[in-house]
Amino acid sequence: MPQVYNWQIGRTMEYPYEGKRPDKQFAMILDINKCIACQTCTIACKTTWTSGRGQEYMLWNNVETKPYGYYPLGWDVNILNKLGVQEVGGDVYKGKTLFESAPTGERILGYLPEDMDYAHPNIGEDDSVGDMAQGAFIQMPHMQWMHYLPRICNHCTYPACLGSCSRQSIYKRPEDGIVLLDQTRCRGYRECVRGCPYKKTFFNSMTRASEKCIGCYPAVENNRQTQCTITCIGKVRMQGFLAAPGQIREDNPLDYLVHIAKVAKPLYPQFGLEPNTYYIPPIHVPPAYLVQMFGSGVAAAIATYRQAKGDQKLLGALLLFGATPEILYSFQVRGNWAMGYNEKGGEVVRVPLREPIFVRSGYDEKLQTYRSNTT
Amino acid sequence: MNQNKNFVRSIRSAGIHVGIVGGVLCTLLFSTMAGADDNFAAVYTNSVGPIMDFNADCWNEANPIKVAMYPQVITTPTKPNAAIAALTVKAAHNDQWLALLIEWDDTTRSDRLVVDQFGDQVAVEFPIDANSKALPSPMMGNPGGRVNILQWRAAFQRDIDQGKPQIQDLYPNAVFDVYPDQVLRATDSNPYSGALGVDNSISRAHESPVLDQIAEGWGTLTTKPDQHADGKGIWENGRWRVIITTPLATESVNSLRLTGTQSTHVAFAVWDGGNQEVGSRKAWSMWVPLALE
Repeated sequence: MPQVYNWQIGRTMEYPYEGKRPDKQFAMILDINKCIACQTCTIACKTTWTSGRGQEYMLWNNVETKPYGYYPLGWDVNILNKLGVQEVGGDVYKGKTLFESAPTGERILGYLPEDMDYAHPNIGEDDSVGDMAQGAFIQMPHMQWMHYLPRICNHCTYPACLGSCSRQSIYKRPEDGIVLLDQTRCRGYRECVRGCPYKKTFFNSMTRASEKCIGCYPAVENNRQTQCTITCIGKVRMQGFLAAPGQIREDNPLDYLVHIAKVAKPLYPQFGLEPNTYYIPPIHVPPAYLVQMFGSGVAAAIATYRQAKGDQKLLGALLLFGATPEILYSFQVRGNWAMGYNEKGGEVVRVPLREPIFVRSGYDEKLQTYRSNTT
Repeated sequence: MNQNKNFVRSIRSAGIHVGIVGGVLCTLLFSTMAGADDNFAAVYTNSVGPIMDFNADCWNEANPIKVAMYPQVITTPTKPNAAIAALTVKAAHNDQWLALLIEWDDTTRSDRLVVDQFGDQVAVEFPIDANSKALPSPMMGNPGGRVNILQWRAAFQRDIDQGKPQIQDLYPNAVFDVYPDQVLRATDSNPYSGALGVDNSISRAHESPVLDQIAEGWGTLTTKPDQHADGKGIWENGRWRVIITTPLATESVNSLRLTGTQSTHVAFAVWDGGNQEVGSRKAWSMWVPLALE
């Protein structure tokens, strides 16, 4: 089996096909600290793409609560349990990936969810860890915690779905790395549903083929960020393109946040798929819990994020989230301003790092009344 | 042993890491017709058109054979515990159409497809070139050795018997407001209708529950643009009875081409949906010589 290099686990690994990176890789960064689980992204995706026959239950984008929520039920704890305890830590992953753990007669370690596993997407929502005693009050660090996890297909560099399909019905686009499921070629075997650990391929019972997030490719091809990104009211996401590991550009906001500032971490890198959705970890969740999900760099990521106020470039990059529907290929922070640029280098958006402050007197002379401070 | 030589060649040319379980492969290479009757013949019947009647006289005259079915463990993903160990098959022809009546035991009728439920299926396979000295691989053919695969699906049988499915057929309490294909013209709604919108052949039965396909190796199964095969399946008392019928020759270069007194080979594959069998997770058979009387 071919050996490919996975930068997230710091080593080569087995994969059914020769690795060839796309010209640029569709990627997304999500700042968990800002997500309020309003599900606007979920509805945006659903009304855009999954209102057809058999798609009723599908949430190509979903937002679940951690640690007690999942869609489908137990998706992460199930595969982590199957994979068994692995050593996660250090620059090189010493454990096994899902392909390396394939049982005899299988291409990958996986499992097929039950139909009912999709029936309660909001299970565990807002359930937090820890007991609240009588008379408790907010403390730092939080004595109770939970966090939201918005998820889409990760458009992995080494997709499990693509490697599982016995008909090669799934392909990864060379121009942008978006992973697509060919609706003419699929015969509904559901090997991809078994294989994907994130469970982001879905079987359509009415069409009898499987489907998945398409990375909003009609928008992305026109330099427009995905529906889930641009509709997010909390400006949680930025979607753009990552460069190949040896070719990162400091002025690309995604390269910068992932590879240089290192505040954005991949989701369950130990599966070995090199997923391309990255998360800024929630600062009030104990890092000991987050290590399993985001790797050993979480504590450093949180520390860097907490210092963002004093780091102009980091702050500027973060403030460009949700600033424009256009994909930003590069950015610059100068003085009090962060600028985002399109592919040709034209300025698309300009965001102040510090909003100007206006102080008004308590009495409005013109209207002859007192200003009140209620919201 | 020509068919076995091509069989081995097809494994090498497929370039897939082969996990050979025990001595299974050795057994298959060195037994010519494991479990199959040497005298399988399609009895001649004086009828016209496709042979679709379960009660036709020809089935009383036809000699049944028992075909041994092997769990598919040669290419991943495998099914070492495939449920169906044998098929009972009869054959008949009327100089224009050939029909096979295939029977097997299956306690559960599986024709409702949701994520964790698969459908019962059976397929018959013919070499497209019956005159070639070298038989293609019985495992879906090989490059240069094309096969015609006629595949009957229980889910298609349900489409034919009960009509186009609605979501409430699968989930009685499902509620929806409106689908794109109800308010947009086809050209505008097709992109939002997934496999149905691109007329994927596995989405719905059209006129027949049997899909007429070709293949030249694993992963190459392709539905033919021209559909000639027909058939019907009935499940009763824990037993499937399926007729698959096909013209002896058509104008297509990708169909079998036989005259009324020729001989050919036929192979089978069967899936027990209730045992999570689909795709390569199946039971398959070696080539069985078939003579037309």
